[in-house]
Amino acid sequence: MLVKVNGKKYEAQEGEMIYDVCKRNGIKIPTLCSTKKQHEGLCRICLVEINLSDKLVPSCAFPVCEKLEVTTESKKIKKAREINMELLWSDHAGKCVQCRKNRHCQLQALAEEYKIDNFHFVPRREDLTSKEEVDLLKDNRVRVVVDDKNPAIYRTTEFCVECRRCINICPTKQYGFNNRAGDVVVGTPYNQTLDCIFCGACVKHCPTAALTDQNNLEEIENKIDDLNVMTVAILDPAAMESIGFEINGIDSQEKLAGLLKSLGFENVFNLGWGMEKYAGEISRELQNSDKTIIASHCPAFNLYIEKYYPELVGAISQTKNPDELMAEAIKTQYARREKINPESICVISISSCVAKKAKKSQNLDYILTVRELGRLARKKNIAAKDIKSTKTDSGFEFGEKYLDMIKSGGLENLFGKNKKSVVVNSMEDIKKILDSIKKKKEKYDFIEGMICPGGCIHGGGQSIGIK
Amino acid sequence: MIKRTKIITKHWGQINPLKIEDYLEVGGYKSLEKFFKIGPKKAISEIKKSGLCGRGGAGFLTGDKLKIVAENESQEKYLICNLDESEPGTYKDRSIVDNNPHQLIEGIIITALAVGAQKAFIYINGNYEKQAEILETALKQSRGKNFWGPGVLGKDCDLDIEIFHGAGAYVCGEETALINSMEGNRGEPRRRPPYPTDIGYRGKPTAINNAETLANIPWIITNGGAKYAKIGSKNSPGTKLYILGGAVKNPGVVEAPMGITIKKLIEEYGGGISRGKEFWFAQIGGASGGLAVKKDLNKKLEYGMGAKIALGSGAVLVVDKTANINDLLLSWTSFFRRESCGKCVPCREGTFRLWEIAKRWQDGEISDRDKKAIEDILWTLNNTTFCPLGKFAATAFGDVVGKLQY
Repeated sequence: MLVKVNGKKYEAQEGEMIYDVCKRNGIKIPTLCSTKKQHEGLCRICLVEINLSDKLVPSCAFPVCEKLEVTTESKKIKKAREINMELLWSDHAGKCVQCRKNRHCQLQALAEEYKIDNFHFVPRREDLTSKEEVDLLKDNRVRVVVDDKNPAIYRTTEFCVECRRCINICPTKQYGFNNRAGDVVVGTPYNQTLDCIFCGACVKHCPTAALTDQNNLEEIENKIDDLNVMTVAILDPAAMESIGFEINGIDSQEKLAGLLKSLGFENVFNLGWGMEKYAGEISRELQNSDKTIIASHCPAFNLYIEKYYPELVGAISQTKNPDELMAEAIKTQYARREKINPESICVISISSCVAKKAKKSQNLDYILTVRELGRLARKKNIAAKDIKSTKTDSGFEFGEKYLDMIKSGGLENLFGKNKKSVVVNSMEDIKKILDSIKKKKEKYDFIEGMICPGGCIHGGGQSIGIK
Repeated sequence: MIKRTKIITKHWGQINPLKIEDYLEVGGYKSLEKFFKIGPKKAISEIKKSGLCGRGGAGFLTGDKLKIVAENESQEKYLICNLDESEPGTYKDRSIVDNNPHQLIEGIIITALAVGAQKAFIYINGNYEKQAEILETALKQSRGKNFWGPGVLGKDCDLDIEIFHGAGAYVCGEETALINSMEGNRGEPRRRPPYPTDIGYRGKPTAINNAETLANIPWIITNGGAKYAKIGSKNSPGTKLYILGGAVKNPGVVEAPMGITIKKLIEEYGGGISRGKEFWFAQIGGASGGLAVKKDLNKKLEYGMGAKIALGSGAVLVVDKTANINDLLLSWTSFFRRESCGKCVPCREGTFRLWEIAKRWQDGEISDRDKKAIEDILWTLNNTTFCPLGKFAATAFGDVVGKLQY
């Protein structure tokens, strides 16, 4: 069917939302709550005008129909967006400079676009008596819930705009709304510390800094600056996917390696070696076993099995993760070869994975997600133009084909031809396959599972993507 | 004494609500027997002919709603009686249960059978503990007489009725929020369409009707839709329960025809303004209702597109000049700030900010910036909220600023 948007006709399918049609055709409609999968229609910012009603309708929740004419920009729409943005923004006012996601926040970007600078909802100090001030402080203070106890995800409701993306995107449904009305906060049941599979999908989709990576950047900086410590970066090729969104102008692996060098890393190695090693170990394990092996280098997937399918834990491959294998090699072989004390080596993995943080390993010291790397670089005021491109350091050579492992199905391509295998990377498939194995309906030689759809290239540690 | 048409309150005070025999004596459950004679199709066409509108506040034509559900070919359908009455100052449904629960149950049985539902729920406000007890007793009695249960009155149809206790959230009176709450989800509205008449409780077609609406059904079946259509106003026929409160001589629930003017309602049914008080304005339809000032007094109270003043739940709060408007504002805004579900931005943040401003307004003065903020919030609440709760959350506030020029 044809739909008229801003006077032009566009092809659309039955049941499609106005927002999706516009997005496909490059018509920009701002939104804070929509994700690719789910449209909630609650931020009331994607409002548009249509010919069928004199009311404003949310474009993300209004299906197209015959004879529909849509206007995406008008005075009325602008007014609605401005007021609603202002209502949201007034909770945030003044906190941007020290915020973890400064300049990478969708709310901030929209506030700039709509020139929200008038905070007339936030009472200015001189207008308040001291009693009122105390009252207001009380009202606002109860609303903030902070969770910094879990290993991977830092959660604070201070910056939350209640868009529900995390609630909708979470594959294991950890979050929900607590309280009512103005006191509403996104939280876990009884505000317990988050105890999930730490895939990081919520962090990746959070428009503001309500959900960020849990880390100790200062400690890492100190290690890097410490002359007695040799910091080594293991560079996951998947991190290349979105680093350009964090620091403008980083468009090649050489640039990224250069960035790490200018941050102060002594050596930068490509994770490819670890992957090759991992593939080798897995294939050996496969040859020596006649049972089903869950061969996954995805820590979130392994955590998922531990939590939800404990009876299948025995099937998880004994091989360590590529990062850990590589860190181990750096601290043993490499240290011996270069005559360095292994204890003064600090191995940091640059990765697109959040779950790796939850699975602390012996030799790997820290994990930095793409977002954290961006923060680190911004903290040190490093811009892309100052970076000299360099190759990753030699010493760990590998075959190019192993880099495919960052995509879902990569492992199967490597040696799945003679084996009965299955690749899963969406929650529904994962449940289906694991259930069928649990009930012994199907027998596979190996299962390659990843929680993030598409594999590490769409990992939970990637940048949210604002330039 | 004027002869007043009484449909719902006819037997109030004359029968014991806990005795089914009393209700049977005055002709109770006769409509159910008649219903089996005329059949569901005719019953729905009678309801449609009567022009009965939903008494919950929206005023949607009941006949149309029931017809959509009845024509749905799904094997599993539900009827829900909405008794989640939580509008401040409104207690008409509670009064129905207090005085004549069997009339409501009869209405539920007829409507459920007419739309082809095998199960009916009564969603009762969690605070109505006594009323829930009365209903339970009444349901037990009517089941004993085989008015519902397997094989109603020996006919080939089954009906189960269950009471569902809400938790007292205002927003759960909205039909999709009500369904969410019954399914065990967070009580907040869903996106419409699809409407509950297509996809409702457990994804099945569901008719959700206000208790007062359903209490009208037995009369319509007995006396015919055409007769009902003659009562009251042309656009929305029938009688309505009005709840008079505030500065009137005789406050309480009264039954008056639709289309009555506010003045007549206050003077004839409420006995006029209390002695020594001067009328200032009347709030029509509970906390979410608008204000009627002196010049609105001759406007008719009715549902439908032509209605000059939104009737809402039927509550009429008469306010005299001694009332402190700032107290009222704070009371309204704190109610909505508390009862908004927090789903959409304008309602969650807007009601909070209005309450904040109302607090600052307590001393009688606000800054120009606040005035601009009020204007903006009222506009966005009216134009962009997710559900009707947000839309009407600030009607009264808007009228104070607009009509009272305060």
